Amino acid sequence: MKSPIAAIGRGTARWLARVGALARFGFEAIASLRSLPGAGRRVAGRILLNQLRFTALQGVGLIVLLSGVLSFLVISTAIRQLGRVGAVDLIGNLMVVVIVRQLGPILTALAVVGRSGTAITAELATNTVLGEVRALEGMGIDPYHYLVLPRLAGCVVAVTVLVVLFDVVALCGGFVAASTSNMSGGRYLGTVLSSLTTQDVIVTAIKGLVFGGIIGLLPSFQGLSVEQGPTEIPQAVIRGTVGSIALIFVFSALFVVALNE
Amino acid sequence: MTVPLEFREVALGGGRRRSTWGGRRAAADDSYGALNLTVERHETVVAIGDESSGVDGLGALALGLERGPGGAVCVFGTVIATLERRAQLAFRRQVGYLPAGDGLLQNLTLRENIQLPMRFGSDFQSGDIEGRTRVILAQLRIDPVAGVRPAQANEEERRRAALGRALALDPELVILEEPFVGLTERAGAELLEVARGGELPEGGRRTLFITGQDLPMILRSRVERTVRIARGARGVVAL
Repeated sequence: MKSPIAAIGRGTARWLARVGALARFGFEAIASLRSLPGAGRRVAGRILLNQLRFTALQGVGLIVLLSGVLSFLVISTAIRQLGRVGAVDLIGNLMVVVIVRQLGPILTALAVVGRSGTAITAELATNTVLGEVRALEGMGIDPYHYLVLPRLAGCVVAVTVLVVLFDVVALCGGFVAASTSNMSGGRYLGTVLSSLTTQDVIVTAIKGLVFGGIIGLLPSFQGLSVEQGPTEIPQAVIRGTVGSIALIFVFSALFVVALNE
Repeated sequence: MTVPLEFREVALGGGRRRSTWGGRRAAADDSYGALNLTVERHETVVAIGDESSGVDGLGALALGLERGPGGAVCVFGTVIATLERRAQLAFRRQVGYLPAGDGLLQNLTLRENIQLPMRFGSDFQSGDIEGRTRVILAQLRIDPVAGVRPAQANEEERRRAALGRALALDPELVILEEPFVGLTERAGAELLEVARGGELPEGGRRTLFITGQDLPMILRSRVERTVRIARGARGVVAL
């Protein structure tokens, strides 16, 4: 009979090995930027543009919908509830703390994980299974340069831009909600702008960069880790998606603790 | 002059060889022999053997894509597997490589696949790349399907495109894994002719190392040497 402690130990060791491999993968991917050849930059640039089109441009509709509906619901409900205790002026603070600082980056990142993270894992896993990654290495083309860096850079830029978009749409959605809930638009804007600081904008952008990095790296890592064949692709997609979601929440919590939000 | 390709006491392990992407090595397996084989300049050498012989991994071992349990493979006097990763990648650009199953990128057209090594690994100007691509497409007679993706092309067209990609940088040494599988003997002969790059008094213009389970009869007279890799054998048995 196997000892439960030994089983926990083995599981922990496996998990730590995966974390170590992911950290090494991320470090090597970023370090490979230095060795990207001039000719390769043009090719990688085209792949980056394609990634931006898929992740940022084609994701705009979903982000606008999520942000608009969420902010409308939160603000119209909050105005009614806060109105009962005479604290309607807290609506700006609520908007900034809950939506701009927390929900905006998290929901945007989750939407990008669902759209692009899954696609990245599936695509790179297919590349691996079909022998394309090996062929690239055989030709002297670094898979980090051709496959990973453009996706990483694309996700970092796309998530950051989409987080800003989410927050702008949320502020507009809140304005509409306030206007239809017996609160003047001017008063709403006044409370929001008095609560919003430069630090909020910077922290939100940093969250976008970090979450974009997670979505660019973890799904790529999982996709390129496939070894056994096509049946492993769905498992890799699940690992990439679940892992990214978990990391996004963990880093959100770390931000709250580190910034004393 | 350095020898283009030399296998020195290479253990043909039957256990799983591991990709260098993961950085792991296979364990030695004593039930397999050690291979000693030299491929001279302008020579076309074909190594054949059944699936369990380990012949299918010789190309990847030579390029340092996989690490075997023992021995060394020298390419132009250098053991690629021992180089630092960036140096490995740079060195491989001197060698043409057609992997088993073609390895064409599915999201690129056949033309773009052929151009990829030139666009990523050379200083060629765009006009030069287009010109060289036209020559390769014409040589391999795949101009009409150059704009389609691999999934839309047939097996022979894909193999021709993969060979075109391997020859894109006009390498002196070309390693071909199972290049004739699924092709007619005539198509195989044509690909071999293009791969050799023309004839010189001392042999082909390029040095070729071909691996596979068998070699069509019609091609046996067109290569300099054929060696059979047998499981359990020490060394190789020349046919």
